[in-house]
Amino acid sequence: MKARLTRRKAAAALLTVPGMLAQAPTQAPASEREQLLTTARKQARSTSEKLAAYEIPMATEPAFQFRA
Amino acid sequence: MPAFGEDIFFATVTELNARLRAREFSARELAQAFYERLAKLGPNYNALALRLRERAIRHAGDVDNEFKRERFRSPLQGVPFAVKDLLTVAGHPTTWGARPYAGQVFDYDATVVKKLERSGAILVGKLAMVELAGGGGYRYAAASMTGPGLNPWDITRWSGGSSSGSGSAVAAGLVPYAIGSETSGSILTPAAYCGVTGLRPTYGLVSRAGAMALSWTMDKIGPMCRTAEDCGLVLQAISGKDNLDPASAGKSYYYVPQYAREFKHLRVGWAAVDVEEWADEPLRPVFRQAFETVREIGMSLREVVLPDLPYGMVTSTIISAEGSAVFEPLIASGKVDMLDDEKQIAGLKAGLEILAKDYLKAMRIRTRVQEEFRKLFLDVDVLLTPTRLNVATPVSEPLDAPRPERKPAPKSRGLRDLIPAGNLAGLPALSLPCGFVDGLPVAICLVGRPFTENTLLAIGREYQNRTDWHRRRPRV
Repeated sequence: MKARLTRRKAAAALLTVPGMLAQAPTQAPASEREQLLTTARKQARSTSEKLAAYEIPMATEPAFQFRA
Repeated sequence: MPAFGEDIFFATVTELNARLRAREFSARELAQAFYERLAKLGPNYNALALRLRERAIRHAGDVDNEFKRERFRSPLQGVPFAVKDLLTVAGHPTTWGARPYAGQVFDYDATVVKKLERSGAILVGKLAMVELAGGGGYRYAAASMTGPGLNPWDITRWSGGSSSGSGSAVAAGLVPYAIGSETSGSILTPAAYCGVTGLRPTYGLVSRAGAMALSWTMDKIGPMCRTAEDCGLVLQAISGKDNLDPASAGKSYYYVPQYAREFKHLRVGWAAVDVEEWADEPLRPVFRQAFETVREIGMSLREVVLPDLPYGMVTSTIISAEGSAVFEPLIASGKVDMLDDEKQIAGLKAGLEILAKDYLKAMRIRTRVQEEFRKLFLDVDVLLTPTRLNVATPVSEPLDAPRPERKPAPKSRGLRDLIPAGNLAGLPALSLPCGFVDGLPVAICLVGRPFTENTLLAIGREYQNRTDWHRRRPRV
């Protein structure tokens, strides 16, 4: 026998499922994706400019052979 | 089978091992009990990635035979544990928390898993994580194929990332300890939010062989436990030279806090501005009390400030460049679009465009960071700071929402950037629960020179002898 699911019951059930509390993973529209990518690129460019402005002696080598 | 109660599920490694040796219950019974609890309650927190019942029961049976023959391997013998799902377990899925890798199976065990099982520890499952350890930068706690990590103290709050399942599983008593990983904050944050003790070891001390790479020069693997002592015991088992990890420091670690320097000779660097201005206001009394307790241990506290370097930008440039290089095949295949978090997808794609000059500049500044820490550690032995300046955030809140502006602006940066800075320099760090605000855990963090884990753990052990925050249990 199927139980009748009222809107109130459905809402209560949703609130008791912890995973439902978060944003459901839905794929964003292409325009939003493009916007996010543009923002990420802008952020990287801005970081690049700030790092470039940071002066550092020529003798300071990159931490390639990294050891703590 | 004996009835296991909360006193067992929230016992420390040492306590469980003592009861196993006293034959109060068998390793098999204990593994079964923890397995069932993890399988039953893990989904409540989106903490469970994989159950490993057969492997656990088989191995526990072997351990019981060893106990019968009085063959004692280590304090971890017979004690169950779980690992973050970025570590391989032969023949079982290793998803890295990400849909594109849902069916991925390796035919070898990660070095950390091998070492723990060799110590007699019983692997009962794998724990959920933020997809790809969050390398592209993510906006929502839900950036995981298992859903958002939920905090056992309040399931409307996040358990922290990226070792989300490791934090919540230990906090809820689903496993006595878990293995997490940190590139920049992924052990310390969930440890603080979930009220467990988390240790980020020195870079190179623990092998990453068999672990997902996010940033070759920054990834570290470490324990998340109930106590500092447990962290020491687990670290002893998982540390050491490994030819399979090119960054292995070739050093072993022995948990001998009794041989750490006397507390009265230790100088602790701290910044009042961290507590009085940077921390969220309701947390300040908790931090004041915690810092006072540290002072009462007998160490001298002196004010310090982190040198003015762009820690956040350097960290994000390095992780972004290395992470996008690691996942270039995923990005090129288009499967990156299967990830749950849109910001992470964009971040990974943009990371491929980072210029060599920017990565090299970041790595050169990183050299400066290490030099500055060397100077700082001439004046102090340990740094002390709030692990996080806030309690766990609501699970639906965007993680990139700007924090409320501090007015007036704090007088100095204090040690506010110690998470990225400490990770850049590869320094060890220990997060210790130190109180609660609105029912949510708050924690302090100790950071030391490279390979001074015993000093941090000795202080942590003494702090936990004087407080009981690490003994508190959420209602599960």
